[in-house]
Amino acid sequence: MSGSSNAVKTVVEEFENEDTQKDKYLTFHLAGEDYGIEIRFVTEIIGIQQITEVPDMPAFIRGVINLRGKVIPVMDVRARFRIEARDYDDRTCIIVVNIDGTEVGLVVDEVSEVADIPEKNVEPPPRTGNSSGNRCIQGMGKIGEEVKILLDVQELLFNEEMQKLIGDIAED
Amino acid sequence: MPMNIDDDQIEIIQEFVTESRDMIEQLEPQIIELGQDSDPETMNAIFRLFHSMKGSAGFLEFDHMTRVAHAAENLLDLIRNNEIELVPDHVNLLCSACDFAKEALDMVENNYTDEEMFSAADIMAEQLHQAIKLATGGGEEPNAAPDIDQTTEIVAATELPQLEINDEMRQTFVAEGLELLQNAEQGLLAWGEKSDNPEALADLFRHMHSFKGNCGFFGFASMEKLAHQMETVLDRAKSGSPLAVDNPADSLLAALDLLQNAVTELSEGRDSAIPDIDEHLVELQKLLPPMLGEILVEEGVEAEHVDAAVATQKKPVGEILIDQGKASVDQVSAALKKQESAKIAQKQQVKQPAPRPSSTAKKQDIRVDLGKLDNLINLIGEMVIAENMLINNPDLKGLELENFTKAGQHMSKLVRELQEMAMTIRMIPVAGLFRRMIRLVHDISAKAGKKVDLVLLGEETEIDKTVIETITDPLVHLLRNSLDHGLEPPDERVSAGKDEKGTVTLSARHEEGEVWVTVKDNGRGLNREKILEKAISKGLIEGDGSDLADKDIYNMIFMPGFSTAAQVTDISGRGVGMDVVKKNLEKIKGKINVSSTPGEGSRIDLRIPLTLAIIDGMLVRVGETMAILPTLSILEAFRPEKEQITRTPEGDELVRVREDFFPIIRLHEILEKKPDSSELADGILIVLEHQDDRFCLCVDEIVGQQQTVIKGLSDFIGNVSGVSGCTILGDGGVCLILDIGGLRESIEGKISKQETVAEA
Repeated sequence: MSGSSNAVKTVVEEFENEDTQKDKYLTFHLAGEDYGIEIRFVTEIIGIQQITEVPDMPAFIRGVINLRGKVIPVMDVRARFRIEARDYDDRTCIIVVNIDGTEVGLVVDEVSEVADIPEKNVEPPPRTGNSSGNRCIQGMGKIGEEVKILLDVQELLFNEEMQKLIGDIAED
Repeated sequence: MPMNIDDDQIEIIQEFVTESRDMIEQLEPQIIELGQDSDPETMNAIFRLFHSMKGSAGFLEFDHMTRVAHAAENLLDLIRNNEIELVPDHVNLLCSACDFAKEALDMVENNYTDEEMFSAADIMAEQLHQAIKLATGGGEEPNAAPDIDQTTEIVAATELPQLEINDEMRQTFVAEGLELLQNAEQGLLAWGEKSDNPEALADLFRHMHSFKGNCGFFGFASMEKLAHQMETVLDRAKSGSPLAVDNPADSLLAALDLLQNAVTELSEGRDSAIPDIDEHLVELQKLLPPMLGEILVEEGVEAEHVDAAVATQKKPVGEILIDQGKASVDQVSAALKKQESAKIAQKQQVKQPAPRPSSTAKKQDIRVDLGKLDNLINLIGEMVIAENMLINNPDLKGLELENFTKAGQHMSKLVRELQEMAMTIRMIPVAGLFRRMIRLVHDISAKAGKKVDLVLLGEETEIDKTVIETITDPLVHLLRNSLDHGLEPPDERVSAGKDEKGTVTLSARHEEGEVWVTVKDNGRGLNREKILEKAISKGLIEGDGSDLADKDIYNMIFMPGFSTAAQVTDISGRGVGMDVVKKNLEKIKGKINVSSTPGEGSRIDLRIPLTLAIIDGMLVRVGETMAILPTLSILEAFRPEKEQITRTPEGDELVRVREDFFPIIRLHEILEKKPDSSELADGILIVLEHQDDRFCLCVDEIVGQQQTVIKGLSDFIGNVSGVSGCTILGDGGVCLILDIGGLRESIEGKISKQETVAEA
């Protein structure tokens, strides 16, 4: 009896979690623009810390960091979108995301807030060109007058072009 | 089958499943050996396997398994007693009986019943019976009823007198025996406290029964007698009849102690005979209340009437007899009184159990959930890091802390021991894995019509358990390839001037901090032309490939879908196997070396890193970057003099160390860092060895040596050449661990040039 009620409770909780995470985005600044990623992928936000470089990596893989005993790779989102690099400062943050167990840190200029952007306020991504940067865009979120570029984390981390890049390097 | 199975029973079943699996695994190779030379000892071991499987399965009411095991046992028994001759078919049959048992065990593990094995069991048992019939010339069909008790006794009684008991067998008996006795002891103690627990009693009975069986098998008569007597008492108790004393457990415990003593004596190489065995037997006999019937016979009642009454016994014997008018009421009541007084008399004779024997089992093991072990090992890994962080804490820099340093050293030593211990826990010898291959080779060689000798070397080499699991499939595929493609058919071999029988060697050994598992055959070797042709036709390479090194070409066999076999046989040829080999090896960060000589055979090395991944590392610095080199690969380190260094016209640098010239790699070039100084004479050269190649690595400084917990670089990054992993340093920073093989490859092109230079 207690078992089944527990199960029900867990389901309800999960449901609620899903619900509370829906339409929520962690927004951050990058080169003067506002971006957002779905909150369900975010595990934590840490300040910038010592990054150990790994040889033979594409430029946007900055290296690896020690996250409480776990070694996770760090991707510079600026470099990923081929935006001009700038020095890290005390506002620079690493957003740790987790997709299907793979944890990756994303270096961004500054984290702003968690914003609620309901589906109706999300416009489809612009169909201009087919660059890998554009394919990472999930949609354009509107909050009043502001526009947030909503990123598809899956695409950002795993799109084919990038895998190929890494693969090529690893095979060399 | 009982549908409501409680936890205890599940536990027993699971134990049975694991034990039986272990046994089958051990014995399968022996069964095949049997086909080659029928050593009586091997025969006995196999017989024991089926016998104990039958016993356990019977106890747990897995009737189908019992049936098959029994049939196999019958066959073996006949062979053992030289009543029929062993033919290869028998070996195959026994192998398939093992297969059946494995399948049944899988089913039992999942469903706790072997009901679904019904038809398979029928077929299997029928085949075995046929074989027996055939061999005995349609002789008498052996009794196939799965009557465990009865057959056990027969087996115990008809045990071969000439059975040779070697030390290994004796040790097994001792270990098993002590375990059984200990279990029995616990059961007895529990039973003594709470005598109305039928399950506990059944368990207890089973332990005693197995022990008796073992004793009988090894011919330890006195132990067997005593155990048998105990079993009888327990049997009586189990069937619900009252025992003559209120607390039989004490007497039984005393007997148990005798058995334990005897087994301990045996383990120390002394005689196992129990002194005054008859006295002890009588002592136990007293536990059994004299049956009413026996007394009545003494009183003059016809024995057969009593027997008949006992057979239909529902009411007390006395009542039935009175009903039947065979005995008078007086007679019965007198007998009852007599029974009562006998009970009282025995109550006074209850003995105190003998003092516990001080020496218990010599060797014991427990089964532990692998998950728990992994957690423990992870924790130890974290502890090594924490210890490094503490001892090399930046806050302590420059302080003279004598006591702290001492305590720190002590702790480091302990942590290192702990680590080594943890490392060995997971390691198991490859013998088990290798022996499984005997069966495979046997089957395939029969199918492919080839004659093969499988040579196993280095079976005692220990590898991490998960690694063993990961390389099982690759080994299967490699062996299949060797047998199917590598070795030629007998006639071809003969015409090539080779021994008709091919040899496949499976070996394991430690090399440079790795374990090398090698599959070698003396067949025709890899065919460079054929591989090339195929690769070109598949568009895998450009041009005619004549500029490719042999090694590159051989490595193509690991591409998915690559097969040079003209036709797909049911053994191999689809081109999947080698891909599996590669994928699995990548999973454990292993590497594959292929070498081959046409006409003489090929050799494939699986190079597996010792996992658990704690290594001795040398911390080096170049510019502001730290890196770790595995200490095992380091031969020496020195600061070079200018005169030692030579530059070739191509701009490669060589250093002369005594009589040898080694190429130099600058670490800062690989890591793309700025060094303190680009003058070699300002840096330190470390001579590294990889397989048979030596080369020098130039770094700015050697910082120190430390225990290094290898962490993988994230899967997201994948394999990085020149880097085998990373670790976390005392200051919390991540530090790369350099892969010596990878470094060497980065100068591979240079080496060939330099060798010529060096020779010139």
